[in-house]
Amino acid sequence: MSLQPPRDKRASLADAVSLVADGATVALGGGLSARLPMALVRELLRQGRRGLHLVGSAHSIDVDLLVAAGAVRRLEESYVGFEQDLGLAPAYRRAAEEGTIEVAESCCATILAQLRAAEMGLPFLPVRGVRGSDIIRLHPEYAEITCPFTGETLVAVPALRPDVALLHAPAGDRYGNLHLEQPYVLDERFASASAMVVATVDELVSTEDVTAAGVTIPAHLVAAVTEVPYGAHPSSCYPRYAYDRAHLREYVSAAQSGPDDLEKYLATYVGGSEQDYRLAVGASRLAALATWSTSTPAWQEIFS
Amino acid sequence: MSWTIDEWFVVALARTIRPAETVFHGFGSPCAQVAMHVARRTHAPDITLVEGAMYAINPDPPFIPPTSNDASLKRGAAYSMRFEEFFDAAIRGDVDRMFLSGGQIDGYGNTNVTAIGPAGHPKVKLGGGGGGCNLSATIGQLTVWTTRHRSGRTLVAECDFITDMGHRTRLGTRAELGFTGGGPQWLVTELGIFDYPDGQARLVQLFPDVSAADVRAATGFGLRAAGDLRPVPPPSVAELAAVRTVDPLGVRRSEFSAKELTRTFAHHEGQACAC
Repeated sequence: MSLQPPRDKRASLADAVSLVADGATVALGGGLSARLPMALVRELLRQGRRGLHLVGSAHSIDVDLLVAAGAVRRLEESYVGFEQDLGLAPAYRRAAEEGTIEVAESCCATILAQLRAAEMGLPFLPVRGVRGSDIIRLHPEYAEITCPFTGETLVAVPALRPDVALLHAPAGDRYGNLHLEQPYVLDERFASASAMVVATVDELVSTEDVTAAGVTIPAHLVAAVTEVPYGAHPSSCYPRYAYDRAHLREYVSAAQSGPDDLEKYLATYVGGSEQDYRLAVGASRLAALATWSTSTPAWQEIFS
Repeated sequence: MSWTIDEWFVVALARTIRPAETVFHGFGSPCAQVAMHVARRTHAPDITLVEGAMYAINPDPPFIPPTSNDASLKRGAAYSMRFEEFFDAAIRGDVDRMFLSGGQIDGYGNTNVTAIGPAGHPKVKLGGGGGGCNLSATIGQLTVWTTRHRSGRTLVAECDFITDMGHRTRLGTRAELGFTGGGPQWLVTELGIFDYPDGQARLVQLFPDVSAADVRAATGFGLRAAGDLRPVPPPSVAELAAVRTVDPLGVRRSEFSAKELTRTFAHHEGQACAC
């Protein structure tokens, strides 16, 4: 595959997400409560995508929503949950316990090595650790190898080339140059290891502006870009907005209590368009998430 | 001066950090997170503190938020590592200490954060290990901790699933497995503190409202205790002040059951310790 030619990559959200096929291996950008590609996730649900194979590091509502809606067949994530604050991921947990998804739990540094192998066009890379951990039993594809130079036994892990990486950025231009703030998590690695990148941005800006801010993911790796304000909500997208802890709590509680409340959540927040989503969350709540920079008390207040 | 168990527990974790170490905590670990900042503000000002899922170097967060990768956690840091910069450093041996917890912890310090029950059809699917199954092999020393020792379900004879490796797994010792890191050095629980002479946990300190019998009743592996079993030394004024300054929202408290949080201790002037 060659690099993406320089052209206007703007697409509607529906067209951008139509690039993700049923059964695709999908890398979700961001992690935990930061810069999750939530508008893209919600659109996957609207389009009724099925059989996805998700790969990534530590994730939360993005993965749990996809599992809750029955869009996922297999997962290779290093963690899915809501940290100590809101606890286990309800849909992921239920599906794993009932055996309706395949969980090939992985480890951050192993996934990193697998992505790097894909980036370098290598079939595998060796990693340290993993031996002695039962994680290795979830991965019959791993193989022990002997280093030809030192004689050490290492674990060889195969290249991981996702079909598509779904990323969200605070700003980008029409060609797909994206600016990110830390943490980048695995976004840069996903971008070059994946066959294709589909991105949303809170705001489309000029090339001059994104260049001045600093390009983290270059246009030649990006196939489509769509402007979706608050496209990472309820996760954060600094410097624009903090994460919406109250919304995460609302989701976790709905997903915990069972199918009726989960259906209600999906009808309220996923049933309509992204514009409807922002209306359902409420303009005043969204505006409050952007007040983090005004003072430390204001920042703390967002998380209360 | 009085303090609560969450504050004392964090101080006990902080004291496992030695000067000039490079120290890391995983996500969803507020007690360890606060402890690192307490150490940096008290006995170990020269540590290189790598802040959880932000990978920020020596930040001064205005507060600890309820999530591990909020931008507040990189405030004041001149540099945040990329994900790969941190993992590379840890795997080549440049990170001296990591804090690690688990839903199950065995006597060798193996931890399970993957699943309770058989892995194929778990009774409880836990969140997962993040980077632990690589990092536990290569990081210099591990401080293992749990705030759920008293439940009787956490310190077990054998983990249902080994996510992160301690001193000995079913496949052999760390030396036999070729691990470059030293493994668990301390296990800190809300009941007491263990070390690992010869690779197996040994109780060395107790919180003063806990007896060795309490610990034995809550521990699934055979309890060994040091001959000179001592009380956990009380926190200093400076350590308590650091805990309260670093974590004004009390995020550390989310790791404890409501019942544990009622444990309050006091130190009266003129007395060595009236805890």
